[in-house]
This record gives sequence, C-alpha cells and structure tokens, in this order.
Amino acid sequence: MAKKIRTTARLLAALTAVAMLGACAPGQVEGQGSGAAPSAVKSVDPAEFAGKTLNYVYFTDGPDAQATAQLISKFEEKYKVKVNLETLPYKDLVTSVHARLSGGNAPDVVRLTGLTDFRDDLLDLRGYLGEDYAKAFLPGPVVGATGKDGKMLAVPSDLTLNGPFVNLDMFKKAGVSLPDPEKPWTWEQMIDAATKVQKATGSQYAFAMDKSGHRLSTVLNQYGTALVANGKSALDAEKAKKALTPLIDMMSDNRMPRDFWLGSGSRYSGANEIFLAQDAPVYLSGNWQVGQFAKNAKFEWAAAPNPCADNCGGFPGGKYMAALQQSKNPALAAEFIRFMNRTENQETFIKAGGFLPTRKDLTEKGVAYPARQADMNVFLKDLARTPDLGYAANSDPAFVGSATELVNAVSDVVGGKKDLSTAVSDLQKKTQSLVEELH
Amino acid sequence: MAAVQAASRLRQPKAPLKMRLVPYLFLLPNMAIFGLFTVWPAINGFNISMYSSSNGRTFRWEGAGNYQRILTDEDFWGIVRNTVVYALSFVLLSVVLGVMLAVLVDQQRRGRTFFRSVFFVPVLISPVVAGLVWNWMLERQNGLINTFLGSFGIPEVPWLVDNALAMVVVIGVGTWMQVGFYMLILLAGLQSIDPSVYEAAKIDGASRWRQFISLTFPLLQPSILVVVVLATIHGFQAFDFIYTLTGGGPVGATTLIVQYIYENGFVSPIRYGVASAGSVLLFCAIFALTIVNWMIGRKREAA
Repeated sequence: MAKKIRTTARLLAALTAVAMLGACAPGQVEGQGSGAAPSAVKSVDPAEFAGKTLNYVYFTDGPDAQATAQLISKFEEKYKVKVNLETLPYKDLVTSVHARLSGGNAPDVVRLTGLTDFRDDLLDLRGYLGEDYAKAFLPGPVVGATGKDGKMLAVPSDLTLNGPFVNLDMFKKAGVSLPDPEKPWTWEQMIDAATKVQKATGSQYAFAMDKSGHRLSTVLNQYGTALVANGKSALDAEKAKKALTPLIDMMSDNRMPRDFWLGSGSRYSGANEIFLAQDAPVYLSGNWQVGQFAKNAKFEWAAAPNPCADNCGGFPGGKYMAALQQSKNPALAAEFIRFMNRTENQETFIKAGGFLPTRKDLTEKGVAYPARQADMNVFLKDLARTPDLGYAANSDPAFVGSATELVNAVSDVVGGKKDLSTAVSDLQKKTQSLVEELH
Repeated sequence: MAAVQAASRLRQPKAPLKMRLVPYLFLLPNMAIFGLFTVWPAINGFNISMYSSSNGRTFRWEGAGNYQRILTDEDFWGIVRNTVVYALSFVLLSVVLGVMLAVLVDQQRRGRTFFRSVFFVPVLISPVVAGLVWNWMLERQNGLINTFLGSFGIPEVPWLVDNALAMVVVIGVGTWMQVGFYMLILLAGLQSIDPSVYEAAKIDGASRWRQFISLTFPLLQPSILVVVVLATIHGFQAFDFIYTLTGGGPVGATTLIVQYIYENGFVSPIRYGVASAGSVLLFCAIFALTIVNWMIGRKREAA
C-alpha cells in the first residue's frame, strides 16, 4: 500500500513538474516585441566596410552559382570585405536559417523564394537603399518583396515564369502546326494539338506537367482565378473547375501521366524527364528549364507561348535577396544587395542562370542571353501578358500552403477519392483557413 | 525470520556518504547526456505543443488548441488508421517471419553466419536509399519487378498507385528492412534454450512440430516480447523509407503519423506547435502499447 502511495506521489510530482514547465513559454511570447527596430542609416561611407565579413546564405539552381561567386569577388575587391558564401540545399534553407536565428548566429543576407517564413525577421531596406529604390524594379515582383506598411523587406533578384515547351521533332513528324508567338493557343487548341501529335507519333502521353501547386496556379490564373490574393481567399469555384477539368480528363485517359501524379505522394515531382525522354510532346514547366534542355535534349524543342483562356501569360515566381534584422552589419548587407542587383550585375546573373530580369531598365533594354535567345524571348513576351493577379497570389503568405492543398485536391480527384466539385469546395475551405492562420 | 533480517539490517553500519555517492557518479555522465538530449527535448516538446510558433522563437499560447486541431482534423484520423494498419501488420509479419528465419538459420549446420549476414544486410542500408531503390524497382512502367512479371505475360501491376497495393508494398519493404534485426534477437533466444529439453522431447517421441509448439515457442516468449515491443515502436515511427518510396501516396494512402508530424514541422507553412502535439500523441500511444505488451509478457511469465 505504502509503495503504491509512493509511486502515485512520484507520478503526480513528475506531472506537476511537466505542467509547470508547460506554463513557461519555450521562447519569446508573441506581442512582447522582437528587439529594437533597426535605426535608419542615412548614408554610410563605403570605406567603413573595409575589413568586415558578410555571411550570405544561398541556394543554387545550378548555372547561377559561378556567376554569383564572380560577382562576390568583385564586391569583395571593391569594398575590401570578405563574403562567406554558404550554399545550402534548398529544402534545408528555411529550417537552417530559423535554427541560426534561434542560436543568435544569423546570416547577414539570405536568398529566398518567398518571404512568408521570415517576414518578421527581415530588415526594412528603405533606410539603407532609399524610399525610391524599389521604383527601379518591375511592380509585379516588388509586390512580393513588400511588407506591411510598405516596408521593403527584400529585393527581387530574378524572375521566373511558367510556360510550355514543345518537342519540335514530334510536331514536325505529326504535321501539326505550332502557335504563332503573337497569337497564342487557347487551352483547347493546345490540348487538341498535343493529342494529335501523340496519336501521330505514338508517344506515351500528350501532355506533361510538373506536380506542383505553383504550376497548377498557372492554369487557374489563365482561367481568371487564384488561390489567394491580397490577403484573401480568392478561389472562384466555377473558374477553378473549368481550369482543372482538362487536366483531370487528360489524367483519366492517361494522355497526361496519372502514375506520375499519384506515385509521389505529397512530394514535388518534376516531369522534365518525361519530356526529355520524348514521352510527351508538350510540357508545362518554366523558363528555368531552358538551360537544362539546351544541354540535355537530344531533339529539337522550343518554348511556346502560354495558352490563353480568360487571361494569357504565365504564372510568376522568382527569388529575393533579403537582409536579416539580426545582421551584425546591416548597412553592409544592404549595400551587398544593392551591388548584386545593379543593372550590369543582375544582367550577368540572369544570363548565367537563364532567369528573367526584375529591373525595369533591363526589361526595356532587353537581355542578350548566351544561348536560346528565341525561347527566352517567348517568356519575356509572356511576361508582358501576365496579369497582376499572379503576382498578388504568389506573394501571399498563404500561397505556399494553399498550393500544397491544390495539389492534394487534384490528387483526390485523380485518385477517385472525391469528385471535382467536392474537392474544389474543400480546397476553398482549406485556403480560407490558411488565410486566417497566416494573416 | 523477517524480524531477524530487519534487525540485522539495522545493525549494519551505514556506508560513508562518499561511498554511497560512487554509483551515482558513475551513472552521471550517461544520465547527463540522456537528460540533455532525450529528457529535456521531450519535456520541451510537450511544452511547445501548447503554443503555436512558425519560427521556433516567438510563441503564442494555445493551451489544448493544437491537440483539438489535430483531433478534429479528418485527415488525421485517416492517417491514424493507416498507421495502425501498418504497425499491426508490421509487428505480425516481423514476429512470424523473424521466428521462421531464426529457426531456419539455427538449423543450418553450414553457412549459418552467411545466412545471418544475408538477412541482416537490409538493416544496414539507409532507409532513404532503400525507399528510392524499391520505388525504382516497383515503377509500373519499366520497373524491374513489372518487367520480370511481364516476361511471364503478367500485366503491369500498379504497385505504387493503387491505395491497397501501395500499403502492401510499404508493409513489405518495412518488414524486409527490419526482419533481419529481429531474427538476430530471436536467434540469440533460440540458442539460449537448453538442448537437453529437445533431447528429452525426442526420447518422448515428440515430432518436430510438437517440439516447436510445446518447447521452442514457449521458451522463446521473452525474446518474442522484446521483438513485439521493438517492432511496435518501429512500426509507429516508420517514415523515412516511406517518404522516398511513395511520398505517403497515392492520395495519402500510405501517409503515417510521423510524416504528418514532419510536414507540420518542416514544410511551409511551418507549425511547430502542431508538430509537437502530434509527437506527444504518438509518444503516448507508443508508451501505452509498450506498457500493455510488458504487462501481458509479465503475466505470461508469472503463469
């Protein structure tokens, strides 16, 4: 009996200790403030930077790494500073930078695909670069770099645009004509052409697309709707159903690879290998594939203009350079961002990486890419057709989570778990809930 | 008698404090590491489960909110169902195949070490690599297994895109990866059985099957209990190879609870509180099952 009482008492003591620990916040409680706001620096003498060290956390898309290293050398030489370039795998970037922020070992500058995970940690660059600095950039990408109250939390360093590629050899063999760059296909025309080529050439599929909510958003955008925009759930159920129906139909008769979509679960999966193996004559991806295809494709191919429905144009993406509030050298971090995004330096970078420019002057002047100029021009032309809705959607804090839910919704329909109406209605609820959670 | 023992205990001189501290000092380094890297993170995980945080630095009090969110999430209950199906099948197959392999290897006069190594090799393979290799082998088109089956005129089997088949594949690969380890535990148990009991049974005319049922199986029960406990823990914690094999698909059919925790903790939008609450629930489930297993085992041993 006494033993039982002792055991119970010990158990209760342990539970009380754990419960008391639960009453202590594991970190800073929200609303208590996250340190002093950075004091605005009007101007800094570049000579003051000499001898300082800057840590730049970077992820690479491949060919851009060498250009970045070259630009960093130029920066180091000009300012007599040392830049530590820390290249991380993309999937580890967010958790790694979070861990470093928690440990008080924050990098000074970080390359990001979106600001959602770091919005409260980023330095307002207006104090260092000036209120008008953002005007040098295209308004669309600037939306994604702007925080509450107009804070400039990052600089858009490169731009990507989703769009289709076509296998010219297969189209030629099938005798199917390509779209006029000035007069893009409609979605019906594109599917019709792809199906004709499939039948004529005996290819396994007619159409392939990366398994990605970002790529699916291209189709939503073309049909005049988006998952989220301007802090609100923006999905129009009827337009979404109209947009997704052709894809689901193609997966039901395997004109679009059904196994590819279902076989990778919740993971992203790129369909570039399907296109490279000539198993599909049309592939919806984006301009970052140009360099890879130029190197690896054993057939003639070309970028095609995005198909039109209610809208034309593609869906934008891109990367940002941001400085962290915890940076020990905020002025140097801001100067580094400015340097890397000067007209001539951004041009070097985007040429190497096969990206699109974010600077207005580069867009107006045009960029001479080292190869595949005609294909890059297709994307540049589509950039002008891309509606603002895409930029608003892509920069919304709830976009990434909603895009994952969009992939899940399509998988549910393709896998026979739900019908399209139910899947879209559930998607609207989940998107709404994400907006409430993240705004 | 008890009174005499108590009196003799009372008469024993108390060891000096230094001497009484010695065992604890020997234990201290190990306990410090255990406390720092296991107990403290576990308590902190429980603590975080009552807050919401997207960056691990700023926290908002949620109380039981994260638990409520998980327990009212329809997807979560589907994931629980998948986890239970996987864990139960995995435990059952691990025990049955583990015992069978252990008995077969034990009976080998030649090459016992070779067979032991062969069945143990999958344990040494990285689960991520194992998942990728099986994914490649089980692809519907051009996969090694379907190509092999095709040579016998068998049509392509949708191993990874049919809900039920994908679960069967995941259970099979999970068992293949771990059964060698359980076989070694059971083999050690078999080898600790006194051979004279088998000799006595043979003299009594017991068949091999009777010997297995009446001698081997009951005497192996302590080892089987260890395997059941370890397999239950492994079964509920399965994630890495499934993530590279099926990604939890098709349509979430092979998504287990650790993937749910991982995706809340490390995939945008990051929700450390929900991930921690999921971990606490998983801990409670594994802890409760381990206690039940242990109690059943103790009862059997006592009987």
